[in-house]
Parts: sequence; C-alpha cells; structure tokens
Amino acid sequence: MADFESVRTRLETSYVNPEEDHPYKYFHESTFHPHYDGRFGDRILKYDEQQAHLKALIQTYLSTMNSIGAETWLMHGTLLGWYWNRKVMPWDSDLDVMVSEKSLHFLASYHNMTMHSFKLPGQKRTRTYLLEINPNYREGEVDEENRIDARWIDTEIGLFIDITTLRRNRSADDEEAMMVKDKHHYMLDDIYPLRDSTFEGIPVWIPYAYPDILSEEYGQEALSGTNHEHHRFDAERQTWIPQKILDSKFDGDDG
Amino acid sequence: MPSGTADEDEPLSAYKARLHNQNTTKPLIEQVSNQWKEKDSDTEKVPYYAEDDTRELGFCDLEDDGSCPNVSRDIVSSRRFRRMFAVTLLAALLLYYAWKHLVAPPLEEDWAYKEGFVAQENGTYGIAKGGRDIDPDLVRLQDLDKRLLPGGEADVEGKRRLVFVGDVHGCKEELVKLLKEVEFDENSDHLVLVGDVISKGPDNVGVLDELIRLNASSVRGNHEDRILQVARSAHNTLSSTSSKGHAKDLALLKQLKPRHIEYLRSMPLMLHIPSLPQAAKPTHKKDSPISEHILVVHAGVVPGVPFSKQDPYYIMNMRSINRRTHVPSALHASSKNEKPWFDVWGWYNDRIFRKQSLKHFNHALQPTDYEAEEDNRAWTSLWKNFWGERHARPKPQVVIYGHDSKTGLQIHRWSKGLDSACVGGGKLTALVLNAKGKWETKSVGCKNYRG
Repeated sequence: MADFESVRTRLETSYVNPEEDHPYKYFHESTFHPHYDGRFGDRILKYDEQQAHLKALIQTYLSTMNSIGAETWLMHGTLLGWYWNRKVMPWDSDLDVMVSEKSLHFLASYHNMTMHSFKLPGQKRTRTYLLEINPNYREGEVDEENRIDARWIDTEIGLFIDITTLRRNRSADDEEAMMVKDKHHYMLDDIYPLRDSTFEGIPVWIPYAYPDILSEEYGQEALSGTNHEHHRFDAERQTWIPQKILDSKFDGDDG
Repeated sequence: MPSGTADEDEPLSAYKARLHNQNTTKPLIEQVSNQWKEKDSDTEKVPYYAEDDTRELGFCDLEDDGSCPNVSRDIVSSRRFRRMFAVTLLAALLLYYAWKHLVAPPLEEDWAYKEGFVAQENGTYGIAKGGRDIDPDLVRLQDLDKRLLPGGEADVEGKRRLVFVGDVHGCKEELVKLLKEVEFDENSDHLVLVGDVISKGPDNVGVLDELIRLNASSVRGNHEDRILQVARSAHNTLSSTSSKGHAKDLALLKQLKPRHIEYLRSMPLMLHIPSLPQAAKPTHKKDSPISEHILVVHAGVVPGVPFSKQDPYYIMNMRSINRRTHVPSALHASSKNEKPWFDVWGWYNDRIFRKQSLKHFNHALQPTDYEAEEDNRAWTSLWKNFWGERHARPKPQVVIYGHDSKTGLQIHRWSKGLDSACVGGGKLTALVLNAKGKWETKSVGCKNYRG
C-alpha cells in the first residue's frame, strides 16, 4: 500500500497497522473497520452518510471506467443490489466489481495511482478518488493475501471498492474455467457476453447469467426473500426499508 | 306377636301343626314375616370400606368380581372379544397405511404446491426488479397476427393450421424434410418456432433465410439472445473472451447479414395465441383439443407471475422451479422442492381448469386473461355487485416450448415440450394444430452434427 505520507489528505496520523498483517499483503484494512482505508478514514460513518458515500463511490468508479474504456462489471453483493432495485443495498459497507485480465493490465500500465476529482450534485466540495493497483497483479495463482487486485478509494473518508480480476484457471483442464484469486470459480460463458444495464443511474455491465451466479453464491432465497439484514423490501416503492422505521411506523399507527 | 312368627320356646311339632292350620285358612302372603325390618343391625351403619382414599381402589380390587382387572380378564378370555379385537386392530392398521401411503402423499404434494402460490411472509419470486428491463431491443410479448389464427375472422371455414417446430439449431435439411412430412401449405399454414433456430448446426444462415421467406414467427431462444448480446458488446477490445462458444458466436455473427440480425431482433420473448374460436370442447386429458389460449416461449414460464415481471433470462433458460419460492433454475430439478417447471405450471393450470378455489393465491392475472371478461362486462359487474368481489379468474393456458433436449419430447395437458434433440442426432418434432384445436405431433430423424 502506498505509504501514508505520500498519499495523505486530511488525516494527521494513519489508522493502519501493516505490522499486524502478513508481510506480503499489499492492501491493509483500517484499525477500526475492515471496509475503510486507514490512510484516509478515521471513523465509521453513520448509516445515511455511508450510504451516500457508497453511492457516490460506485457512480464515480463506473463513469471513470466507462470514459477510459476499461471493461468492468458488478459482482457479489453489489450485483445482488443491482438485481433487486439497481441500487447499493443500504446495509452494505463495501462494493465488489470485477475486471477482465486485459483491463487490469491496461489500468496498471496507464492509470495506477491516478487521482480523479468529481463535483457531485448537492455537494459543495469536490471529492477525490484514488485508483491504486496491487503490484502483485501479474501473479495469477490463488493468493489469499493479495486477492484484491486494485482499489478505488474515497480519499476523504476511506471507503473503497474492491476490484478483482477474472482470470483463466490455469490449473483446470477446461480452457473455459475461470477463477478469481479469492477462489471463486466461474465459467466464461456465465460472464460473457456482458449485458448492459444501469446502476445508481450510471451505465454498467452485468454478467450474462446474472441470476445463476447470484443463486449459486447466495442461494435461491436471495432472489425471492424480502427480509435481509433487518431490512424489508417494499415492492411498490422498490426500495429496502430498515426494520426500525417499519416498527416505529407500526407503533405510530397503533397509538 | 304377629301370627306366623316362630316362637323360640314352641316345640317344633306344635309349630308345624300351627303352620298347617294357618296354611289352610290364610293366604300365603300373610305368612311373610319381614323380620329383617325389625333387626337393628350395626353392620349396616359401618361402610363397607373405611372412609379414606382407598375407596377408589374398588375399581381395581381383585376381590371384587366387578372390578376392572377381573372384568377385563373375563372379557379378554372371551373368544368373541379376541376375534373382535383382532379385526379392529387390522382395520386400524389398514386405515393407517391407506392414509399414509395413498391419501396423505397427494394431499401433502398438493399443499407443497399450494404453498408457493399463497402470499408468504418472506416474499416470493417476481418482487425484485431482476432482469425485467435488461434489453431495450427485446419485444417482450407479441400477439399472433389475427389473420393467421385458424378459425379466426379471416378463416371462417377453419382451414388454417399452425405448425409449431422444436429447436432447429441450423438443421435446414431436417426442417425442410419436416415441413414436407406435415404437408406444410404456405398459403394456409403458419410456421411457429420455439427459439434456438441457430447455433450448433450446419446451416444457420440457410435456416434464417428459409424462415424469413416463409414469414415464420419465432420466439427468442437463449442462443439468439447470446448472439444478439455478442453483437451489442463486440466492440469492446479489452474483453478477455476466449471461450469456444464465444469464438463460434463471433464467426456466426460475421456470416449474418443485416436482414438476419433484424429478424433475430424482431423475435419476441413470448408469443401469445388467443384461444381458437372454433375449437372443440376441452377435457382434462393430455390429448384434449387445445381450446385455451397458447403461450409460446423458449424454455418456460413461472406460473402466477405477471408477464411484465417475468425475468427474460429464465423465460429463455429455465428447466426447474423451486415450488416453494418459485425461483426458477437453469438446471434440472435436483432436490425435493425443485420440480420440472412444467409440473408446477401443470398443477396451477389443472386447478384453474377444474375451477378449484384460488383463495389466498397471489393474484397475477395476465392482461390476456381478461379477454373473455370484456365481452361480458355487464355480467362481471353484476357478479361483482352480487358477491361483493370480482370473480375474475385466470384462464388456463397451454405453453409450447423447447430448450430441454435432454428431457426430450414432453407432452402434458398444459405444456408441450418439442425439443427432441435434432442437432445431436435425435429428431426434429412438429406439433400441428388445426382450427378445431385438434393436434398431432410428427417427427423426422436427424443427422448427428455434434459428434
């Protein structure tokens, strides 16, 4: 991870403890939460704040990738959020995207450590995001310490997107077996051809067999169940509502 | 002292003599002495048992002839009772097994199917946005051109036919042979394909040209969908698509002319055919005439979910449905709750057809379900006023589909699966439907193009 002094923004001290991690691990988590970068963040944001920052995080990432032409698509929890209502799920604190091997090489060659500033609607200050590539990206083996190939980081508060790469599974006989360094396996034809859609209002690519990928990773209930993580899906408003609000509404009607 | 009472001091002979005298003069009744009344017996005052809690033991007292163990022993030792007992036990056992193996399983099955249709606390399939709007080019639902409907306004004599054909996969030779086999008449017959007309086989362009020439209708299959998606995203040079399938798709894409792409793009996800006006009376048997409206899709549909909420991916890829959550899967059924999609579809439509209650069912009336109601609007509102609720019921519907070559030809009452694995050396199958709703299937053998 680039050292604190050379990338620091507003913080005086770093909330990272690299000594505690494996010596070859590149990206480190903050001392206060695994989904914050301790070089930029010093606290866990509140529910609403975090949601707004994550939305801006994925919007800026997707529009940057669209404009520089790198191929990226949604995966894991972020894909599940897309499936339900084209939005980040409010209880999520991280985002997952995937890139092709070619795109990663392209990003590493021309865009590593670039800063991208955005003036977002409704925000007075510009926000700056950092694209940082893991120097171990060339090694194609399963590597638990360096499973994240790159990060898109909000340099104001430290939230980030994990970027992983879809690679040829060189240990499999089948040429079409693909893998990611976090040991997830996919068939190439489940990912390609990518489909176009939108996410948080920005054009995005989606894996071809998106519901199969989701039900394999999260179970079939993830596609039908309306209760998740203390939230309930409101079918008419197409949005996740926290159980707390539902309960308080119920009490209000009662009294 | 009353007469007739024995005096203790009187000698026996005198007593006898006196008795004799009395007998001759008095009625016998007067000789009854009722001596017991005068006896002031102490024993009567003492209860048979001491007044404590042992009284209840009476029931089980072995000394007492009327107590339970003794009575039971008597009963059990009776031959008749033993026979009766054996018969009762046997009857109970028989009833139990009949319930367990004959009555309960279909009831349980019924309940398990029903569970998927009634509102559930944790939601059901079709609530999430899913892939509903994923492809702006996709025509979701198309109605068959009225002029092509057998027995319709343009065919009063009922001469027209509809010919449905399973997955062709570029097997042009076999398609031509099959059309000859069913004596296809270009003037009075209309050809309908269930999708996957291209890919895998020898002559994709030839098949498309033939379909365009015949003005045939086809729904979009997963292979058409894939090639159209490849066409949309082929410009991206940073893709790492090196799959064999992708290479074949790209090669095919190069062969296709704009008219072919246009034809592929015009294929709707679902083709709706209204019920045939001259159709014969339907029955519940699987060879019944098809008098209901028909939906043509490539793989399947989730029953009870409105067309607008069906995910196109599954319409083109499903093979099974979880009967509890109604989430489909592209794989074959592999667990207890996963069922071939047409089983769930069949259960639902059987229920509608038999006019069984749909109380508490998720209401998912399709726009096309209202077609009959429009004619009887006055009736419907009368009905509504009388019962205080709308009695609009979904109408049963027959689905004609393909996609599942492994399972092969699948003819059920509410679904007709026509993929009989032509491209792999199986057969190419057609279902021919006339204006009366009568239908038959015909097949021709295919070369194996995959070996």
